[in-house]
Amino acid sequence: MSLAAGLLALPAVIYFVVFNYLPMAGLVVAFKAFDVSQGIFDSPWNGLENFRYFLDSGDAARILFNTVFLNALFLATTLAAGVTLAIMLNEIRSTLFKRVSQSVVFFPYFVSPVVISIMLQVFLAGASGGGGAVNDMLNVFSLPTLDWYTEPGPWPWILTVVKVWQLGGYMSVIFLAAITGIPEEVYEAGMIDGASRAQMAWRITLPLLRPTAGVLTVLGVGRIFYGDFGTIYAIVGDNGTLFDTTDVIDTYVFRALRQLGDFGTTAAVGLFQSVVGFIFVVIAVMIQRKYAKETSVL
Amino acid sequence: MSDQNLSRRGLLSVGGGLTLAALFAGAGCSSSQRSAGSQSSAPGKALTLSLLLPGDVPAGWDAVLAEVNKKLQAEQGFTIKPQFIPWANYGQQALLKFTAGEGFDTALQARWLNMTQLAASGSIVELSSLLGSGKYPNLTATLDPKIVELNRWSGKLYGLPQINSVARFHHFAIRQDLADKYGMSEIADFAGLEKFWYDVKQKEKDITPIGVNSRMPKLLVAWNPVGWLNPYMWENPRTSIASFTGESLAFVLAADGKQTGSANPVPFWEAPGMLDALRLVRKYYQDGLINKNALTVDSKALESQFKAGRFATAWAMTDGLTSQMLPELTKNVPGAMLSNVVPLKGGKDAKPYQTFQADNFLVLNAKGQSNEKAMQLEDWLSIKENHDLITYGIQGKDWNPIGDDKYEMLSTYTFPGFALSWRAKLERRIKDMTASEAAWFDWAQKADNFTIDPYASFTPDPEPVKRENTQVTAALTQFANPLFIGAVDVDQGLDKLKKALDRAGLAKLQAEMAKQADAYLKGQ
Repeated sequence: MSLAAGLLALPAVIYFVVFNYLPMAGLVVAFKAFDVSQGIFDSPWNGLENFRYFLDSGDAARILFNTVFLNALFLATTLAAGVTLAIMLNEIRSTLFKRVSQSVVFFPYFVSPVVISIMLQVFLAGASGGGGAVNDMLNVFSLPTLDWYTEPGPWPWILTVVKVWQLGGYMSVIFLAAITGIPEEVYEAGMIDGASRAQMAWRITLPLLRPTAGVLTVLGVGRIFYGDFGTIYAIVGDNGTLFDTTDVIDTYVFRALRQLGDFGTTAAVGLFQSVVGFIFVVIAVMIQRKYAKETSVL
Repeated sequence: MSDQNLSRRGLLSVGGGLTLAALFAGAGCSSSQRSAGSQSSAPGKALTLSLLLPGDVPAGWDAVLAEVNKKLQAEQGFTIKPQFIPWANYGQQALLKFTAGEGFDTALQARWLNMTQLAASGSIVELSSLLGSGKYPNLTATLDPKIVELNRWSGKLYGLPQINSVARFHHFAIRQDLADKYGMSEIADFAGLEKFWYDVKQKEKDITPIGVNSRMPKLLVAWNPVGWLNPYMWENPRTSIASFTGESLAFVLAADGKQTGSANPVPFWEAPGMLDALRLVRKYYQDGLINKNALTVDSKALESQFKAGRFATAWAMTDGLTSQMLPELTKNVPGAMLSNVVPLKGGKDAKPYQTFQADNFLVLNAKGQSNEKAMQLEDWLSIKENHDLITYGIQGKDWNPIGDDKYEMLSTYTFPGFALSWRAKLERRIKDMTASEAAWFDWAQKADNFTIDPYASFTPDPEPVKRENTQVTAALTQFANPLFIGAVDVDQGLDKLKKALDRAGLAKLQAEMAKQADAYLKGQ
């Protein structure tokens, strides 16, 4: 029995060893003056010098804040959107309509961030770089227009809207699956007690979705230190005016690596990110264990 | 627009596992140490050279490659297998491949990519002895020795300069049909350009006068040989500018350095004309002359918008490629016409500074299978027939010759010649090159039309100030680029920039630049 279970787990174990554990040896590069021709293990050591690049830059505090703030925002809004959509979809009685709606809300998940970036540019700046659909709309109502691509203020919210559009449907599918798992008897009991559909959604569905939400939150918090590189970089790119509110660790590291190709400093920031990310996961799990023991999976 | 095509698109593919990728690349380094010394393949075994080329696979490439390989195998006994890497990833991937010790043979490199770093680390081959061996007569016949000399760094040649004109001089491609409409048959100076832009703004609701893409901000104010939107430099095109790496801070060097022995580098804003240019660009931006998404828009996207008729001015280079946009432009906007405007004071007699530094180099990988064969390939591509085959495709299908030096495009085949086969003496011109572009292209072919920049072959070494340079570069991306396109108030923006640069280590960078530039002057 245990041998069979072990064999079943083997592919996953191999996967993690090869792709996640072995490469960790490369982390030494964070402590080395990396030289292309000498390779990782033969390059000379240079202590904590590589970490100074990030910590001395004066940007560290802002970038750390942006990373946590944006991710917390994304996590909270996509979870909320997912639950709401799931409950709404669950109330649809026509199977065909339900299926179609499900596919439609799920679709944005497959849209590449690059395509999203281009769509946003058309919305916010227009094809010829002056105007754009949003500004045209503001004009209609005689509201002041904005040079969106040089105004950092609204960007956390713009990105949040993008994220919700992108992930809301995806999250809703997970919650829908959880809703299907809720025993029918609970609803029947509710019905006998004379609960309306809204009351059942509020008092039965929602509380019973807590374990799923809990797991997704723990997983999300574990990744809170990882900026959403794909979306943010595709949309903001090297637009310095927006860095104040949108620059996260990953985009920062990526720019440093691309502009100078210095592996030592980028590995140092990557290591820093992993360590802090790990601490976040541990804290999240501990809090869950303490306050929501029944929903904790870890 | 060869060097403007790098963009952020597609970088995503590297994104998620960025650190992982870097680590992997490095890990590969130690394990896959190829037998670097094996300079020739075993007899009887077919050798296939692996080449890194930028951009998308050209339309109709398979047929061309088959033809090339057939000829190569028969004449030289080896074949080639190029690998096309999209521009967005090229710099990054090429560097990773070098770092990982992959055994490819040649690559495109440049100072605006990672060439200085690769030269310093010994990843690319120093070519003096190979080139001087006398084994490559066709190559040496098509490479101007003067250009080779000027592209040596501290006496060392790290790549074969790929050029199709002697001098590189960026300028403006404008919609001549619009200019004609406003009664400006020939624009020759910056004031004329400015009037043209304001006319466009006023009279064409749907056309943005100037198109700037996300790779361009650094070119606009302080750039060698002139800042694109810097009228002072167009009037006085004799400013020497140096920076440690392509994206780093532009220092202006003393014009009388040769006499005094002191280069006295100053950050660009302290040099004459720079502040005025910043204020001017700010005005242009506020007046709506420049596209508002300049910091974000990709070069390819901008080019397609220009071809769609949504912009009146595009960036151009003296490489004869501007007119290639004309067919698509006229298809979208019937009656459209392009002309190239180089608003130098004194026009073609201005004799501006020129470093004659090639924008693109072909480099040989120190871990390649055979450096000699790679040189042989370059030699073979220096024969007109072979050069034409790879550059223009299959005759009769992709192109037809017109005389000895012109050609007509029959298909959409475009090969990144600048990464492998550009030979100034062999390049053919497109049949429909506009008169204005032909005139300026001719002008750029003659070294006598230029004054050699006193710091022409000065190549600063970023190694001693690596960390400061990275931090300065990061600060520039954040604070200088918005300033360069006019998106922020000049005084406030410059103040922020200066503060960020001070924190990043400007003083150390400046001192190091002074040290190296003075040493260069001493060695002259």
